[in-house]
Amino acid sequence: MSTSKRKLNLGMARFSGLYVWGIFIIIFAIWVPKYFLSMATASSIASGQVVTGVMAFAVMVPLIAGVFDLSVGSTAIMGSIFSVSFQTQYHMNMWLSIILTMLIGLVIGLVNGFVVVKLHVNSFIATLGMGSIVVALVTWECGGLQPLLPTSQTWGNLTQAFFGGGFQVVIFYLVALALFLWWVLSFTPAGRYLFAIGSNTDAARLSGVSVDFWIWTSLACSGFLAGFAGVLFSSQTGPSLSFGSGLLLPAFAAVFLGSTQLTPGRFNIWGTLLAIFVLATGVQGLQFVIQAPWLDGLFNGVALIAAVAFAVSRQRSEGRRKEVEQNQSISVESPSSFEEQPSIEIDESVAQDQGTI
Amino acid sequence: MATGLTPNSDGMAAGTTSTNGVVPALAVTSVSKTFSGNRVLSNVSMTLESGEIRMLLGGNGSGKSTFIKILSGYHHKDDGGEIRIGGEILPDLNPHAAHHLGARFVHQDLGLIQDSSILDNMFMTGKFPARFGTVDARKAKQLTNASLEQVGLDLDVRTLIRDLSPVQKTGVAIARAIGLSDSNPIRLLVLDEPTATLPAAEVHQLLATVRRVADSGVAVIYVTHRFDEVFELPSRVTILRGGSEVLTTDSATLTREELVGHIVGSEVLAVVENTTTTFDTHAEPVLEVEDLQTPLVNGLTFRVHPGEILGFSGVTGSGRELINSAVFGATTRLGGVVTCAGVQVKANRPDLAIAAGIAFVPADRKIHGGFMNLSARENISISGLKSFWKFPRINRSTESHDALNWFQRLAVRPAGAISAALGSFSGGNQQKVIMGKWMRLGPKVMLFEEPTQGVDVGAKAEIYRQFAEASASGSALVVSSADVDELVAVCHRVLVLRHGHIVEELTGRELTVANVTRASLVDSSEDLANGVHP
Repeated sequence: MSTSKRKLNLGMARFSGLYVWGIFIIIFAIWVPKYFLSMATASSIASGQVVTGVMAFAVMVPLIAGVFDLSVGSTAIMGSIFSVSFQTQYHMNMWLSIILTMLIGLVIGLVNGFVVVKLHVNSFIATLGMGSIVVALVTWECGGLQPLLPTSQTWGNLTQAFFGGGFQVVIFYLVALALFLWWVLSFTPAGRYLFAIGSNTDAARLSGVSVDFWIWTSLACSGFLAGFAGVLFSSQTGPSLSFGSGLLLPAFAAVFLGSTQLTPGRFNIWGTLLAIFVLATGVQGLQFVIQAPWLDGLFNGVALIAAVAFAVSRQRSEGRRKEVEQNQSISVESPSSFEEQPSIEIDESVAQDQGTI
Repeated sequence: MATGLTPNSDGMAAGTTSTNGVVPALAVTSVSKTFSGNRVLSNVSMTLESGEIRMLLGGNGSGKSTFIKILSGYHHKDDGGEIRIGGEILPDLNPHAAHHLGARFVHQDLGLIQDSSILDNMFMTGKFPARFGTVDARKAKQLTNASLEQVGLDLDVRTLIRDLSPVQKTGVAIARAIGLSDSNPIRLLVLDEPTATLPAAEVHQLLATVRRVADSGVAVIYVTHRFDEVFELPSRVTILRGGSEVLTTDSATLTREELVGHIVGSEVLAVVENTTTTFDTHAEPVLEVEDLQTPLVNGLTFRVHPGEILGFSGVTGSGRELINSAVFGATTRLGGVVTCAGVQVKANRPDLAIAAGIAFVPADRKIHGGFMNLSARENISISGLKSFWKFPRINRSTESHDALNWFQRLAVRPAGAISAALGSFSGGNQQKVIMGKWMRLGPKVMLFEEPTQGVDVGAKAEIYRQFAEASASGSALVVSSADVDELVAVCHRVLVLRHGHIVEELTGRELTVANVTRASLVDSSEDLANGVHP
């Protein structure tokens, strides 16, 4: 009875990003048609967001399991520097350099996992610290100087080659990666386990899910993807010791904004991509109107907060509606005063046990 | 503070429209509530005199919590109804007005801060008495003592909440609600399932407190799931079902069967007696627990046979609450050997316990049991996703088919809503979904912790029916529960714990509520004197 109504409501909420995107395009098409309505603009918005997109995916995978990875920016910096310096300084083959770089990203993720899972450090703190360490080590390795670019054309062509109608080939990578992750997250047990852990870690453990293994894996995956993002950035615009941290916020903004789209309440690939392109279109359009370097940051900051506020308010209204529909008595299921002392003590001792082993 | 309990007649406020001079503490006239076209409360009326106790009963979805939430200003009521407290109209959605008119609410979770003292908790919601901007400690203490005395508690005000027994905590919450009032007299106290998590033995104390509060002139609405209280505390009883008032009568005129009948209505309540099954006592035990050690249990040994339903009883702190979770690995097992069908299960490894054929339904669905924001389908399949996985994808249609099958077998309501988030189901139906998650694995041993806590009567009957079915199909069940009626009704054998030890084993005719309760309560100082470690 309430389902038909619900579907209708969700229709509006689920695709609100698409509407906003449409509105952006219409506004700027009327406002600054000469600049905005060009193939060059479309292509630059598209290819300019690929690295952000890969970063967002890197952030999203562990976030689904409820784990923050703030080191992705630093890992991407590592990726951009090492992928080039392996070639120019150590004279390695291009493909070997790329693979090696991404493997180093994977190792960074594995170390993150170790700190989070084995040392029981909060993921926020662990990855914040790891990020700082990674940048320090990279700076030390390259002596604070950005390595020379490889002279061969192939390095740049890896991402910048054009295909069909003036779009850079790098967009193709993003779409392929999105398809792959979509498959993993939506159609395989791995995705289910990550969502279950993110929903309720305790319940996941008690349902037999290897929580530690999957958290570890998600962080490794995140490091690997961040390394890949660094490689792409380096090929597209050259190595940089600073770009990564600037991409952290847009990545998180896109992931959270994406979680309000398509399947509201869940982090999802297509919602994230949609969010990235809506934001980029808005920023690009405004850049044409008022050339201001601070626009980007303002836009992303507002989007991040608005997205989370929106998600929270949706949850709250849904919570209220749920109570309404079920007319459940207040917190019948929390045996609060009944069991809390023993269970708290037990949790601590579990942590201690694992810590000392 | 005594002034907080000025009898109603003194505190009669202006604007009273009463004709005969006695203003009821609460007068509710045909209040209804409709949520998006769905009427959950229709034309409920209720009048409470000061000093009256009113038991409010009803299953989940009966409208009782909506009713309470309208009173407390959380929900808007439909146009047409009227609520008066002490003669004055209560405006909608205004908790402050309810408070101002003298209505107080104590919710089940009590809202006390565990690590603070009684005194600090007492003033948390109001204002500390202050002198020159600093807390006037002496006055605060006096006020707190006076409030505690009102509810018949004699406690040191510096005691931390966490050190109190459950019933003492409830007492403190009540004292805080009705005491320390500003100038307005307290007219109405609403207790929302105050005994849901209390051990049976402590319920008596709480009922005495409630009596005391009512005798001082406060009208009390007492919401409960437990039937015994209705007969223990002579009062008026109002039963709601499907949003309407079914009956209001004196508790003395009701029998237990009538009461259940009114609450459940025409739905047939599968009465528990005929669900008792038999099992082969000569079969090899499927679960063997030797010398189990947990923080509250010191060396516990028991066996369960296939098809047997074993119960654990014991008051809070007896160690009963942690047996199942320690066997399964949900909480720390400090020592002991657990063997399931010949396979030794390592401590603290739920995944290995599951692999050995053990299932565990924890007490707290929100915290340990389910994934509230994931769909029911995902909740059911999570325990064994591999059976649906065939490269390149999880087969959604067989997964849905399986979920639907369990919805049907467990009579989950709303029927077929496998894509709805678990959190949107009622407590009883959440519990059924979680049971489905385990039953699809065909476990050899199922461990249940408080299986029907916060579950309405209808769902309870269904859960008991599933117990019987699981037992008949050869699963061994271990049920740990604070509800002695439940244990006696469903179990073949009950082990009673006190201070971490099994003190009694009851089966057959011996297995009665009276025996179990007695065994769990017998003077504990006796044990201490004999040198048994508490």
